[in-house]
Amino acid sequence: MKSKTTLFFILFWWSIYGFFSYLLLEITLQYYPIDFDVAFLRIKQEEVQLAYYRVAFYTHVISSIFCLLAGFTQFSSYLRVRYPQIHRWIGWIYIVVIIGFAAPSGLVMGYHANGGFWSQLAFCLLALLWFGTTYIAWKALGKKNYLQHQKYMIRSFSLTLSAITLRLWKYIIVYFWHPRPMDVYQIVAWLGWVLNLLIAEYLIYKYLKK
Amino acid sequence: MKSTASLFILVLFFASSCVDTPVASPDTPEEVQPMPLTAVSDTPTSAPEDAPMLELLKPSKGYFVGKFQASKTNDEDYDYHSPTFNKINLSIDSIFGDSIIGHSVVAGNDRPFVGVLDSKTGKYTATEPGDDRYDGVFYFRFIGKNQIRGSWVANNKKLTVYERTYQLERKTFAYDKALDLPQNIVTVELYIAKKLRKEIFKEKVYTQEELDNGAGSAEQWEGEFLTEDVLVANPSTTLLTKEMLQNMYKGDLEVLRNSIYARHGYSFANRSMRYIFDNVDWYIPVHAEVKQDLTELEKKNIALIKRYEGHSERYYDVFGR
Repeated sequence: MKSKTTLFFILFWWSIYGFFSYLLLEITLQYYPIDFDVAFLRIKQEEVQLAYYRVAFYTHVISSIFCLLAGFTQFSSYLRVRYPQIHRWIGWIYIVVIIGFAAPSGLVMGYHANGGFWSQLAFCLLALLWFGTTYIAWKALGKKNYLQHQKYMIRSFSLTLSAITLRLWKYIIVYFWHPRPMDVYQIVAWLGWVLNLLIAEYLIYKYLKK
Repeated sequence: MKSTASLFILVLFFASSCVDTPVASPDTPEEVQPMPLTAVSDTPTSAPEDAPMLELLKPSKGYFVGKFQASKTNDEDYDYHSPTFNKINLSIDSIFGDSIIGHSVVAGNDRPFVGVLDSKTGKYTATEPGDDRYDGVFYFRFIGKNQIRGSWVANNKKLTVYERTYQLERKTFAYDKALDLPQNIVTVELYIAKKLRKEIFKEKVYTQEELDNGAGSAEQWEGEFLTEDVLVANPSTTLLTKEMLQNMYKGDLEVLRNSIYARHGYSFANRSMRYIFDNVDWYIPVHAEVKQDLTELEKKNIALIKRYEGHSERYYDVFGR
């Protein structure tokens, strides 16, 4: 039996997370039908000349949106216990999408990121850590090390959330300080995921200590 | 509407048909004007005293450029939220006796006019066709050879600005790709909050307390300003790169792009562009359309700037992209 506060917290999380997932879906849909001269790609015309970049970009855009499903279901122990099938299926999608598609394509895009060396480094590091944490969490299942699975999935998902937090930070920073566009980009390239990871470490330290 | 337009054509026709008879050498019709001017004078007795004045009146063709200054408005706060002048180019195209044909280019509007000299006062009355909302009548006189001074009255007295005055200097226009934006362009504001503009125009004096609290300082200015980025390069002579543009504000990009049009003498319909370029010394509004004059380099730069401008417009202050 769930307490009222837990239920409230779940509904609150679902509505906020649902709202931002919807915004990300809208962003994704901008690139349909496939067009190499829309939105973000308007200012990536040099990269668009490269076939592997085009493949990476569309792989990233199409696949990443499916990772977000995990946020609705995977942290509910109720669902995991009562309907383990849901947890397995959505988890499977999450792992396949990140390890097979979203993280490798993210690495390629990170290498070509706007904003020079430091933002390239930030996005490449993000892609590598995203891949690494998800991979370790997946492998932990084979060893039946569920604590490790939990810890690394929290880390992995905190990096997944950077899709939302990066854009949110950009919005907040521009709203208050209106810096130049590429300066904002360099800031959020780091702020977007480092802070998430720190919060994840704090949560792990606080709730998952043996 | 239709009738005013056809009346205008009739006047045009009349003016041009007048010229057929007096002109002796058809290849240089513009040099004939002083003769009919004296001939038309119906008070021949006063002719000797008029002689110096007639010298003063002698009109000549060309561009006359300067501030088209609002003098009567229907909006008492007009000063505070709009620039009070537009740069106008009053072009005298043909002179036939004491009639002139010309056109004015101002605020993106290119309008023809036909003028007639009142030989008693030395004043021209030049009428616009009347089928445009902003048409009216110019009243002016030549001051020497290189200056025109006068007023303009709108047909529609309900326009925000229905009377303007001007003192224009003769200017010649030639496209020069090497013209740079002046360094001081960065001090021009793209937009200032209405309240602040009001204070500036009223030359408000702040108390010491207000000053201590930061009143009147640049940080308190609610508005949008250009930055030195706009001077990054001359887009009419230099091929712009992604690196030059990617970190620029939308406002700077817009002015950089429009500087290309300004060099070609484009008359801006856009108020904020006017506000910026009307204050640039070399800028003369000549055409309402300059697309066909752009060089290949300029077209390339315009396309690139537009990419970043559009991106900034669409994504700079929103969630996502």
